[in-house]
Amino acid sequence: MSFIEVNNICKKYKVSKRKSGIPGMVANLFVPKYENKEAVKNISFSIDKGEMVGFVGPNGAGKSTTIKMLSGILYPDSGSISVGDTIPYKQRKEYVGRIGVVFGQKSQLQWDLPVIDSFELLKAIYSVPDDVYKKNLDRYTELLDMSKFLKQPVRQLSLGQRMRADIAAALLHSPEIVFFDEPTIGVDVVGKENIRSFIRELNSEDKVTMLFTTHDMQDIEKTCNRLIIINKGSKIYDGTLDGVRKLHGSSRQLDVFFANDVSVEPIPNVEIAEVDKRHSQLIFDGKKVHINDLMSHLLSTYNVKDMSIAEPDIDSIIRKIYSKEKVA
Amino acid sequence: MKLGAYFAYAKKTFLGKSAYRFDHLMGIFSTVLQFFIFYEIYRALYGTGKSVDGITMSMVTTNFVLSLGLSTIFSPNDYFLPGRIWDGSISTELLRPMSFKGRMIAENVGESFFNLLFKFIPVLLIAIFTTGMEKPAGALNMVLFVVSAILGYGVLFTISFLVQMTAFWLINIWSLITIKDVLVNVLSGKMIPLWFMPVWMLGVLKFTPFASIYFTPVEIYLGQLSGRETLIKCLVQIVWIVIIFLIGNVLWNKGQKKLVVQGG
Amino acid sequence: MGDTLHLITVYSKTTAKAWFQYRVDAFLRSLAVFLREATGIIVIYFTLLKFDTLSGWNIYEMLFLFSLLFLTYGIMIIFFTGLRDFGKTVRDGSFDRFMLRPRGLLFQILFANADWFAAIGHGGLGITLFILSAGKVGIHWSGASICYYLITVAGGVLIQGAVFLFIATLNIYLLQTDSLKEMLYWDMRKFAGYPISIFNKFIQTLMIYVMPFAFVNYFPAQYFLRKEDMAAYPEVYIYLTPVVGIAMYILAYLFWRYSIRFYKSSGN
Repeated sequence: MSFIEVNNICKKYKVSKRKSGIPGMVANLFVPKYENKEAVKNISFSIDKGEMVGFVGPNGAGKSTTIKMLSGILYPDSGSISVGDTIPYKQRKEYVGRIGVVFGQKSQLQWDLPVIDSFELLKAIYSVPDDVYKKNLDRYTELLDMSKFLKQPVRQLSLGQRMRADIAAALLHSPEIVFFDEPTIGVDVVGKENIRSFIRELNSEDKVTMLFTTHDMQDIEKTCNRLIIINKGSKIYDGTLDGVRKLHGSSRQLDVFFANDVSVEPIPNVEIAEVDKRHSQLIFDGKKVHINDLMSHLLSTYNVKDMSIAEPDIDSIIRKIYSKEKVA
Repeated sequence: MKLGAYFAYAKKTFLGKSAYRFDHLMGIFSTVLQFFIFYEIYRALYGTGKSVDGITMSMVTTNFVLSLGLSTIFSPNDYFLPGRIWDGSISTELLRPMSFKGRMIAENVGESFFNLLFKFIPVLLIAIFTTGMEKPAGALNMVLFVVSAILGYGVLFTISFLVQMTAFWLINIWSLITIKDVLVNVLSGKMIPLWFMPVWMLGVLKFTPFASIYFTPVEIYLGQLSGRETLIKCLVQIVWIVIIFLIGNVLWNKGQKKLVVQGG
Repeated sequence: MGDTLHLITVYSKTTAKAWFQYRVDAFLRSLAVFLREATGIIVIYFTLLKFDTLSGWNIYEMLFLFSLLFLTYGIMIIFFTGLRDFGKTVRDGSFDRFMLRPRGLLFQILFANADWFAAIGHGGLGITLFILSAGKVGIHWSGASICYYLITVAGGVLIQGAVFLFIATLNIYLLQTDSLKEMLYWDMRKFAGYPISIFNKFIQTLMIYVMPFAFVNYFPAQYFLRKEDMAAYPEVYIYLTPVVGIAMYILAYLFWRYSIRFYKSSGN
């Protein structure tokens, strides 16, 4: 039995429909219309202790709803969730004391007060013993480099600083599971790296289980070993990052630069886009077209000055996956 | 800037108001309730008496119906400017082709028109059918009432405009707006008809614009003023609009400079 | 228990520190609230300058009646600020954050915040009116009457708190409840500034049985003033305030518990 077990969960929402313009306005004053939206359709997965899992999907895919159910805020309409021997939405108070949640877009710190005041408040809320609190506080302050701004009001912090403080805040009570929702959004490159290495250390040292929902694929590449892709309420991929790359990473882009004006003749299975008279981009599936054959064909037919080949990045792979149906 | 653009802006506000129908019904209810409170209080005060200082119960009722009714139509958005200073959008707003002040008025006109149709008329009908109200003293009175009411709106709007300008310096002006509302409520005849104010207070009020907002139109409606007095009081309304607007405009210009210096 | 008390202390310290960061603004706000609430009193003052009494109640008796209203609100808002602002809390996602903490939801809402400006504004007005009027209306203060006063104030606090809790709970079902709150609480409260006997039967019924403001200040005031218009009501009403308060609060709380379950199952 895994640590986190999610079995066939489903969730529907009621959304109000409104027509536009003046007739719609008058109509809506008297008869409001609603429609059902299926946010989560039969999702199942299991996560072991200490795993770092990334949840990826377009907006409205059902990620946040799934996370809310995992954190105990929502009941699933059907199906079940269990974490260890606890059911999140049935034993809220006991459960949430063992998890931490970081919302990148919404801080849980007191806006007008020094960071340390918020930490002390959280210490009281979570009943953290003095020694544990001190140990965690010292450790996080050092690892996240917070000593400079611990005493500053939150409203004076830069986004990167605030994010670090929010992460520390979510970890003060030594949770077993941490949920991260867009934890590096808006943070600069250095800040992002600092946060990611902190997360990696926490996972390897303390075996904290971590779940990430994010649009930043680099976050996932640098921290997670597992990826779950959700689209339109269903799980369409559950595996490693390499696995994703292998499935769809065969697309290639070849940029060719010519010594004179050239119009490239059509080639089977290759998309040709002319950038200008001396530069064309050839896009093809590496499994269908051998790069050797293509390059030798070009070299022998035209006067080639330069060539460069590019691998698709994981972002475009994911985007392609969104637009398709279920992945193997 | 084309008039069409301002009209579109007003229409946008008009449609936006309809989004919360429950709120809306409650707004009507609230005004009607307020009206009934005053009505009952004065019914108790009058007891069996017919008139006090020549003012009958029916005139009192009319005063409340009209002032409360007008106040449902004319409610300037006191946070039009302060809201945009607070969230920083003021800098981009000022770059738009439409005049900022023009938009302020257009938005309020859209809202006022909505309120006229969907708040004022229901309130008026309910009040008339349950308590009765004086008819206008004459057809001319009715016309002049409308004119004076619009002028009264102008006074109220410029007061709001003036107070809003202080946001350039104070940013958070909730306290000032609240105090402004207290003054308007107490001194405009909306909560106590100015006929019943002590003489010394009436003397003080002469130097303030508040009586020009609701009470002047009410007096015209009831035929309490001679032709000459009507003309004078309407002129007073216009004078207040001009004075307050000019002061507000000075602050507007100063405020703009301050924004530029600070870098928005 | 000790742990809970400790948390309440930390909440209070944190809230007070955050509110009083801005001292000038704090003063102006309290003053503005004070004046806004005093509007009704200023108006009745001028009115009674002209008319002497309202249904037999003179200006001092009116002030005493008003004072109970503001005093109970000032105390109530210290605890119920969170409920007053609950709509915003739900809309901006802060309620979800409360759900992620290992503490009772209502507990957090009640103690995590307190609007000291409102408390000082309303409470200060209540105290001022009490001081102005208590000496002039012929009250005889004994052990019994002091006891009565304290208990009835507590009851009045509970009655209004129950209304706030009820309206806050409605935020779980409705997108916007501000207007409902305006109507149910604030508009009804306007009636409460005056002896309910001047209103028609329908309104009196509302004030006694639907939104029982009459038990917050009218009947308690009658304990001390014994005006003629009390003859129209059962004598026992004068003592019912704490009972009404407790009953209303229990009902509101049950509705709250039910609605939380609904919130978790309906999505948001």
